[in-house]
Amino acid sequence: MRRFAAGTRVRSVLRVAVPLVLIFLLGGCLMPPTPETTQARDVFNLYILVLALGAVVFVAVEGMIVYSIFRYRRRDDRLPRQIHGNTVVEIIWTAIPTVIVLVLFTFSTLTLARTEAKAQNPLTIEVDGFQWQWTFRYLDANYTVTGTPTNPPVMGLPVNQPIRLILKSNDVIHSFYVPHFLVKRDVIPFPPGQPLNQLEFTVTDEGTYAGQCAEFCGDLHARMTFTVQAMSNAKYQQWLADAKAGKSPPPAASVAPGAAEAKLVAKGIAFDQQKLEVPANQAFSLTLDNQDTVQHNVSISKGQQVLFRGELVAGGKSMKYQVPALPPGDYVFQCDVHPIPAMTGAITAK
Amino acid sequence: MSAETPAAGAPAGVRPLVAERREAGMPTPLVGMLLFIASEVMFFGGLFAAYFNSRATHQGPWGPPHPAPELEILPVALPITIILIASSFTMQFGVWAIRRGDTRKLKLWTAVTLLLGVVFLIGQLYDYSQLGFGISDGIFGTTFYTLTGFHGAHVFGGAVGLTILLARSLQGQFSARNHVAVEAISMYWHFVDVVWIALFTTLYFLR
Amino acid sequence: MATTTLSPRAESYRRSWVLDWLTTVDHKKIGVLYILNSFLFFFAAGILALVLRSELAVPGLQFLDERTYNEAFTMHGTIMIFLFVVPVLAGFANYIVPLQIGAPDMAFPRINALSFWLLPLGGLLIFSGYLFGGAAAEGWTSYNPLSNKTYAPGVGTDLWIIGLSLVGTASILGAVNFIATIFKMRAPGMTLFRMPIFVWTVLVTATLILLATPVLTAGLIMLFIDRNYGGSFFEPAAGGNPILWQHIFWFFGHPEVYIVILPAMGVVSEILPVFSRKPLFGYKAFVFATIGIGLLSFSVWAHHMFTTGVVFLPFFTFMTALIAVPTGVKMFNWLATMWRGALVFTTPMLFAIGFISMFLIGGISGVVLASAPIDFHLQDTYFVVAHLHYVFFGGSVFGVFAATYFWFPKMTGRRLNERLGKIHFWLHFIGFNLAFFPMHSLGILGMPRRIADYSPNAGWTIYNLISTFGAFVIAISIVPFLINVVATLINGERVGDDPWEANTLEWATTSPPPPYNFDRLPPVRSERPVFDLRHRHVDEPGHAIVAETEAQP
Repeated sequence: MRRFAAGTRVRSVLRVAVPLVLIFLLGGCLMPPTPETTQARDVFNLYILVLALGAVVFVAVEGMIVYSIFRYRRRDDRLPRQIHGNTVVEIIWTAIPTVIVLVLFTFSTLTLARTEAKAQNPLTIEVDGFQWQWTFRYLDANYTVTGTPTNPPVMGLPVNQPIRLILKSNDVIHSFYVPHFLVKRDVIPFPPGQPLNQLEFTVTDEGTYAGQCAEFCGDLHARMTFTVQAMSNAKYQQWLADAKAGKSPPPAASVAPGAAEAKLVAKGIAFDQQKLEVPANQAFSLTLDNQDTVQHNVSISKGQQVLFRGELVAGGKSMKYQVPALPPGDYVFQCDVHPIPAMTGAITAK
Repeated sequence: MSAETPAAGAPAGVRPLVAERREAGMPTPLVGMLLFIASEVMFFGGLFAAYFNSRATHQGPWGPPHPAPELEILPVALPITIILIASSFTMQFGVWAIRRGDTRKLKLWTAVTLLLGVVFLIGQLYDYSQLGFGISDGIFGTTFYTLTGFHGAHVFGGAVGLTILLARSLQGQFSARNHVAVEAISMYWHFVDVVWIALFTTLYFLR
Repeated sequence: MATTTLSPRAESYRRSWVLDWLTTVDHKKIGVLYILNSFLFFFAAGILALVLRSELAVPGLQFLDERTYNEAFTMHGTIMIFLFVVPVLAGFANYIVPLQIGAPDMAFPRINALSFWLLPLGGLLIFSGYLFGGAAAEGWTSYNPLSNKTYAPGVGTDLWIIGLSLVGTASILGAVNFIATIFKMRAPGMTLFRMPIFVWTVLVTATLILLATPVLTAGLIMLFIDRNYGGSFFEPAAGGNPILWQHIFWFFGHPEVYIVILPAMGVVSEILPVFSRKPLFGYKAFVFATIGIGLLSFSVWAHHMFTTGVVFLPFFTFMTALIAVPTGVKMFNWLATMWRGALVFTTPMLFAIGFISMFLIGGISGVVLASAPIDFHLQDTYFVVAHLHYVFFGGSVFGVFAATYFWFPKMTGRRLNERLGKIHFWLHFIGFNLAFFPMHSLGILGMPRRIADYSPNAGWTIYNLISTFGAFVIAISIVPFLINVVATLINGERVGDDPWEANTLEWATTSPPPPYNFDRLPPVRSERPVFDLRHRHVDEPGHAIVAETEAQP
């Protein structure tokens, strides 16, 4: 190595610096979001440990590959020593991954025991996943909110108080996921009698955190988003009161007796008709007969402007909406829960 | 181009060692049949796992849906079980016969086995008509018909095999030295029999 | 007497070569058919991947609606796994295994032809959903209840089920054939522990296929009954359990991962020793590690189901992490094989080294996912997508290309151009990392998989953009490969029977080998019979090439 004496120092610096910079860059790309629950902090620490172990293995093995590539390229026709194996070495390198695996397993199991522990008297919210949005039912506070793909719901939560979510689905499998909480749990339509999945956590910091369905659940899976808003207990109480107040039913449009009637049947996530005709400048009634197991509604809009938004109708139920008068023209009706072509149609007022 | 062109560099006239290879141990077709049966075991394993899983998570009494009667081993299920077990014996008598070179007995026992297999299938179809519930009547109906139906399909497949076997034996194609097809079909037939015993025990006794 | 047993029926009439290929039962021709068919499906599914990546490049729905997107990723996953990676490796195994064990053909040549022809049939059925109102759109995992009649009323899902059953049947028949061939057709002297590693990996793979695929078939049949005959296996309202589908699917699905990776490991274990000019380090340890992975693969399926809340987490975490041990042994064996070797960087060697360095990343991310609390965060995110592509693409597909460059001279007598090969490799390697490394970040930041659109505020845009760019680099890398194949077939360098100075029996016959493969076989006294033949004089004193050979254990 004399020949390289001048470059030796540079080389040895590079030899250390390059991998360090690489690790730093890669590590930066591999950092989870700031953990915002007690449980998430625990998982975050475990992740850092595993990432560090992984980084050591990565650098060691890739380093050996790169070293071999430069050091052992073929230089002449001599046959290298034909080594078939070495029992001692092989036992050692069987032991190394075994030890890593045991360490990982121990720490995982310890973390799991802590994060899955059940709290006393948590604030309990029932989370209903459906195609394709969420309903949050505050069981202790008599407040319910249901989102639509265009208008996702907000889950207000107090910080520093254990929360328990009861995860319920009546159609397909969904998954409740908040990246900042570093956790998700599947929302499964279990057969009757089987206990529902639950998820517990305690939010530590105030803030607004995005959440979304993580288990592929059909056409509008990508639009099953929601927001978690964590606040101090005082703010939370205020939020809850406001939310409940804002939930007063919309004033019904007055409809003259004998006014026009229209009817839509929802079945198999589709409306029975794609075209409706109603008299213009005159309030009318619109009946939605929901023959599915999931909920639907009807809303009427022109362009971006929503002129009427009907309440959600649960599966197997029927509801008669009172729709205010429409000026003559063409409008679009759709189910806000399932804004797919099969649940969209044209309505003409004339 | 002839397929017999020797590989380049090989001295002409030196024929490969392949030809000198002796068949040692089990004949290759039987190895193939055993492997195929192994995959069939996993197939039925999957169906059985579904049955037991459904039973374990099921709420309420397990059995035919109301108002269909409980499954009974008489008058049909037990007799056809005995018939199928008997057919395994008759199949084996046929195998032993041809190992001795007795082609007449082979024909006889193959025909008897085929007959018993057909009787089993007819009996099962009759049983289906008497049960009073269908494949779409709840989870029990679904698992029951899927398990017994796929077993029945395998018996039918075995019966087709036996028919071919019978036709070939009537043409005198088998001898004491050359009867690997008989051995293979008999293995399959025994397997189908064992599956039925497991099914019968599961469906009628482990209630 | 030998001649009569061996010689094929003399051809008394000429058949068109088309008919000849369509009706062939020769394992080499069937192998080539497998490979060609698989590459066609690879290009089809690759185009789907480009469509998906284009849609995801920036937020908003640009080209596709959600439905089309869902169909595209379902087809991409299904086709890539069931009609590209598994069959293309089966194709190489078909061509190479009988040669490597010194056999004239597979044990059951006609069943071999049948198991090939079921593949294009099954693949076309799966694709034909597009002609009948839309292909299946439930993902390659087709979770219930999403895949039952209520939520997936289209006939595309039924075609998917039928097509997949045919493909499954094909691979079961193929597996029977491989195992029977390996146990019954080995040349004299070819004991089990002298078999090339590739043959060992194919043996373990075939065993996994034999035992795992029928369970998928059973599950597909249950799904079909649920959808079409009013069954209620997975129907919660009628007493069924949708989780049962996941158990069945992953009981098959996890061994499937090793079905896909083990033969590629075998390919790499053939190539590294040849171009390191050393034997594989720790042959027996490697064999036992392969068997160990095979055994363990049946006890880890529920790690795909950690977030369902119904599996026993510590057990499956432990078993999953345990797979890192035999895999680690293999990794060290490969490193030790290169260590103090005389490395020659041909294109197959580059792809083999690419395999070990990329598969390592897939292995590490797999161990990360094995930890249940971490999996709660990463499950069903792009981290999983990154992980599976580092295993399937960084692992298996690199292995497939290594095999293509390595065995092309054996199949055609001509060597692929090395310059174009190296361009292909570097584009492929760079494009692969650009496309899939950023997905780790996306997953860690919480981007779920299988979404057609995402919010511009999520902070995912830059990584998605890089990933899409990488996908197109991969696509471009295929161009020099295709040019290379066509140009070499027309006017490639003819390189004789053993251009790489390789070790195993396939190099002891002509390129391409004649029907029934061998005219005579060298004696088999180790796992490197052709190496022994070439260096038989090293024991003689005074020979020019000095080699130190350790006694065989």
